[in-house]
Amino acid sequence: MNKEPKKPVIAILSLTCCEGCQVAIFDLGERFLEFLTKVNIGDFRLAEELPDVKHYDIAIVEGTAITKEQLRRLKIVRKKSKILIALGACACVGGPQEIKDYRGDKNRLLRYVYPNIRGIDNPNVKSVKELVKVDFEIPGCPINKDEFFSVINKILKGEKAEIEQKPVCEECPRKNKNCLLLLGKPCLGAISLAGCGAPCPANNFPCDGCRGPRKKINLEAMKKALKYKAHLHDNEIEMIMERFGEKNEIIKNSIKK
Amino acid sequence: MRIRIDHIAKIEGHASFTADIVRGDIKGARIKIEEGARLFEGILRGRKDEELPEIASRICGVCPVVHNLTGFKALENAYNIQLDETAIVLRKLMMLGQLINSHALHLFFFSLADFFGYKTDLQLINAYPESTHDAVKVRDVGNKIVEIIGGRSIHPLTPSLGGLRKAPDPGKLKELLNDLRNNLELAIKLGDLFLNLKYPEFYRETSYVSLSNSGEYAIYDGDVKVGKLNLKPEEFLLLVKEFQGPDMVAKRTKFAGNTYMVGALARLHNNSDKLNPEAKKLLEKSGMKFPLYNPFYNILAQAIEVVHCFEESIKLLELLLTGEIKLSEPKITNRTGEGAGAIEAPRGTLFYSVKAKEGVIEDLNIITPTAQNLANLEADLEEFEHIEGFKNIKREERAEKIKMLIRAYDPCVTCSVH
Repeated sequence: MNKEPKKPVIAILSLTCCEGCQVAIFDLGERFLEFLTKVNIGDFRLAEELPDVKHYDIAIVEGTAITKEQLRRLKIVRKKSKILIALGACACVGGPQEIKDYRGDKNRLLRYVYPNIRGIDNPNVKSVKELVKVDFEIPGCPINKDEFFSVINKILKGEKAEIEQKPVCEECPRKNKNCLLLLGKPCLGAISLAGCGAPCPANNFPCDGCRGPRKKINLEAMKKALKYKAHLHDNEIEMIMERFGEKNEIIKNSIKK
Repeated sequence: MRIRIDHIAKIEGHASFTADIVRGDIKGARIKIEEGARLFEGILRGRKDEELPEIASRICGVCPVVHNLTGFKALENAYNIQLDETAIVLRKLMMLGQLINSHALHLFFFSLADFFGYKTDLQLINAYPESTHDAVKVRDVGNKIVEIIGGRSIHPLTPSLGGLRKAPDPGKLKELLNDLRNNLELAIKLGDLFLNLKYPEFYRETSYVSLSNSGEYAIYDGDVKVGKLNLKPEEFLLLVKEFQGPDMVAKRTKFAGNTYMVGALARLHNNSDKLNPEAKKLLEKSGMKFPLYNPFYNILAQAIEVVHCFEESIKLLELLLTGEIKLSEPKITNRTGEGAGAIEAPRGTLFYSVKAKEGVIEDLNIITPTAQNLANLEADLEEFEHIEGFKNIKREERAEKIKMLIRAYDPCVTCSVH
């Protein structure tokens, strides 16, 4: 008699973030219910409160570790997981909470928000891969739920999952006509990683790179285009690239001349 | 004896609870928020005005629409920008979609298992497969409203200063109208499911705060109703006091020295006469009589609101589809000023107040529903020994009851720390 193969144990862990990427997983609706039948849940605080298990086959982590407790948990989760997936812009590039690290004295911002700052952690924001080893990144703010579904199914089957290195422009319905950048809008589509389906430019909203940059980008050419086509000052360009904390990553991925 | 609950599951965000029981009396009940500070109010200073709603929507992935729209509303009030009727109707529809999807998530996936003593939604899904599919379907319709009008269901794209940057496709709106009509029955069925639950007996008087207006069940617009007072949002903000105790990463609020409750139960309490017919029928069937000072009924209030939102969406879409959907270019002549905006988020009234100079944000304050509810929830928990049978139940079950109350408030911890 054939023994039924053991279902993989999945954990979904949320650090500091908006939790929108977990909501996107719920938004899979019927597909989410089907997914639940194929796996064993090791930890998924949004849907259960069972005691934790010792080992995860796949841990999915959204958000950034800001409190000391979150950092501790992240390290434990890494240790007990075979595969760790960073989910969403916060986990992959830092998220909007990283803006504070680019804007001078971060404790000045803390004092602006809180009268009592004692006991409130305010470290520099780090993406998950800067803290522990990450096996796969699913970027975006929010993630593209269809992309998530396809990637997670491939990983479950033991197949190789990959996000193709191409710019958002390739998926943009406005390419060749009505390009937002050519119309003078500050669009980062040319340097940003596709896979989202370009919902932003499709809705007249310039891409601001929530999925982070592609590899080997020509940052100087992008800056020049933003300067001359969209009439932005250097500081304005910097501020756009900070929105999802992706600026460090953009600089890292740009080709050196 | 100390009660300690670490990592309260099935709420949005991370929190724990501590209190002491001194001779049967609960003392020092405190919700401890376990989220990192993201400093949204701080990081938005010095940035361009239109970045405010885009970035602030990232405060919450469960209710991004309301953060986005309240941010725009505060700026529009600061700059004296008038919106055309079509833009307002489209934004109202987005809010109805937001309430449907958030309520459906909380009702079915967060709170319902408590009534059956299940520790995981999987047990619930296996025991009630049909209701599960109904809840998913209802939630999908809510998401679809936001997706079609907002361009995306999480972190919407189309709202802009003075209106919307893109009008939705009328063909898709017609499809949406059909979906809403076809699934209204399911929303009512879901309502019936919650009608037949047994809500724990608990009583503590409080005041209910929500928007209110004479024309409709207030969600997008209205004065702030506090008892007999009707205040403009900016007047309310002058009177409400935010405070932060030691080691608190989420602030609390009080109005005239007292805690108050916002959310579905507060709205129903203040505005139930404005409910649409099917929602009203459900309310009558429920036998809820106001004033009703039992926060567990916030759950049932949400279920009634889901039906109201379906009916209201149908009404607004029918109206919208009678003519051509055209958005006019907003007139923006001034980008300096101070203003406040308030909208009913799924969990209660959300306030933004902003000061901008020549299109750059100078000051920003955000008061979220959960920040307002926390003090009230803690006050309820201080009185929790009066819940029926508390003295006779075991320690473990006490913790379950406490978690059930916390979940009834549908706290959004992520929002409370922003």
